[in-house]
Amino acid sequence: MTFISAEFYILLLVVVIAYFAMPLKYRWMVLLLGSLAFYIFQGIEMLPMLLGAAIVGWLCGLGIGRVYGDEGVGAQEAKKKAKLVSGIGVVILIAVLALVKCTRYMPENIAARIIVPLGISYYTFSIISYLIDIYRRKYKPEANALKFLLFVAFFPKILQGPIARYDKLANQLYEGHRFDYQRMCFGLQIFLWGLIKKLVIADRLAIFTGEVFGDIPRMSGSMLLVAAIFATVELYCDFSGCMDMASGVSQIFGIELEQNFRRPFFSKSAAEFWRRWHITLGVWFKDYVYMPVVTSPRMAKVLQWAKKHFGARVGKSLMAAIPLAIVWILTGVWHGTGKAYVVWGVYWGAMIIASQIWAPEIKKINQFLHINTEAESFQIFRMVRTFGLFCIGRIITIPNNLHMTLQIFRKIAFEFHPWELVDDTIYTYGLDWKDFSLLMCMFVLLWAVSMLQEKGGLRTRIAGYNLGFRWAIYYIAIIALIVFGIYGPGYDASNFVYMGF
Amino acid sequence: MEEKIYELLSEEFPEIDFKESDTLVDDGILDSLTITGIIATLTMEFGITIPYEEIIEDNFNSIAGLAKMVEKLSS
Repeated sequence: MTFISAEFYILLLVVVIAYFAMPLKYRWMVLLLGSLAFYIFQGIEMLPMLLGAAIVGWLCGLGIGRVYGDEGVGAQEAKKKAKLVSGIGVVILIAVLALVKCTRYMPENIAARIIVPLGISYYTFSIISYLIDIYRRKYKPEANALKFLLFVAFFPKILQGPIARYDKLANQLYEGHRFDYQRMCFGLQIFLWGLIKKLVIADRLAIFTGEVFGDIPRMSGSMLLVAAIFATVELYCDFSGCMDMASGVSQIFGIELEQNFRRPFFSKSAAEFWRRWHITLGVWFKDYVYMPVVTSPRMAKVLQWAKKHFGARVGKSLMAAIPLAIVWILTGVWHGTGKAYVVWGVYWGAMIIASQIWAPEIKKINQFLHINTEAESFQIFRMVRTFGLFCIGRIITIPNNLHMTLQIFRKIAFEFHPWELVDDTIYTYGLDWKDFSLLMCMFVLLWAVSMLQEKGGLRTRIAGYNLGFRWAIYYIAIIALIVFGIYGPGYDASNFVYMGF
Repeated sequence: MEEKIYELLSEEFPEIDFKESDTLVDDGILDSLTITGIIATLTMEFGITIPYEEIIEDNFNSIAGLAKMVEKLSS
């Protein structure tokens, strides 16, 4: 069951009715039952691992709270004990995550027996952040096991995130929210927009990219380049579409999830891109890996040693390089355990590190070449360049085979047939000219909506229109979805890409 | 101390006017990469270790906050 299956809408309707029928105080229980039902529909065999992770997080959280609450223990001693308890919890959670992620390196008969729970990366990271935050005394642990389970399993975010943080989500879940018509309309609007991104754009693009990347040796460079660009937009529409749906469903209950995408293709640099794409993962790595490395006593020693022997510039370069290298290798591994993902992590890490270390030189080159870096044309160039960099990243990971990746780059460079872009070749990979025309219209719409979102207030603007006009927009969107959506056999659209993490 | 830190950081980050605001983090003038650069500069200049607990907005919002933090960690 996903956000695009009929069963989901039935479950959602039942949960919404039950939620608002229940007294405020008990509404969180409806969300918990709904979340467990949603997860059981994914496969009951995955439930024990979810419950196990929640129990580990809850018990360790209480353990840390008890250590800090013990007045007989000194502050230093308490901190040491709290570190041990949180460390135990984190190690257990990471070990389980690593086990299910590394099945490709296990003998087949063992790997086949390991259940990979959906959303394990997301809920594991949420629980780890909870334990570390309690260790850092950011907030107190949750005493109620069922409430904590709701924080872990809340159904709109369990399959693909966003990676929830306890201090931002928990109270919203536990306090009952009254029904609000405008909020529900806002929720349904964003849900509908997410559905359009997924069913009309992403799943249509997936037909073309699947055909082209499914037979790389026979493809020309021109088709592979178009497929790489399409695969980039496909991933964005798939993942951000799912986030819009998660956000929309939550809003119906009066719960605001954290933003996971902020128009990433408007980014002017690789570093900015990753502040706008999968934001909650980036912030998680910043808070729990990057900053602890930056502020570690060992890092301070390395800097002082480097300054003494090689000068301040080398010290600063190390400060830019070491924490980012660690974060990017881990980000690569988070996305997949194959070599391609490690290379992908190194690719982004090296680019961001280089842009930090050589920032003064890049500035000098721009001055030497008399490039007006403030000009609008240069800003557009930077956005196109960032998009291109992301396309290259997609080419690294799509085949999940570095030999194939090299073959794609070689073909784009040496077997590029520009005439295939204007004759009918492009229409032979699953999409005809009507599909392409529709896609071009959808790209324009996507760009226009993104521009309006960037300026702010799109939804309040729609809400401000007359009732008739507003409903005309909704009807057009729904009809477009029904007519142009891509539905598989049995009207079951394909799964979301990021659900496998 | 404030003047010394101001000179150091102005030389290192000429594009940022550190006296422009006393809410440098809240206003988005300092992002995490810039904060990392500030930590590196202060660590090497004053021979201190800036622990994670000190990475709070109050300490990085202004030159005065940074100076106060450095003085505390140097003592």
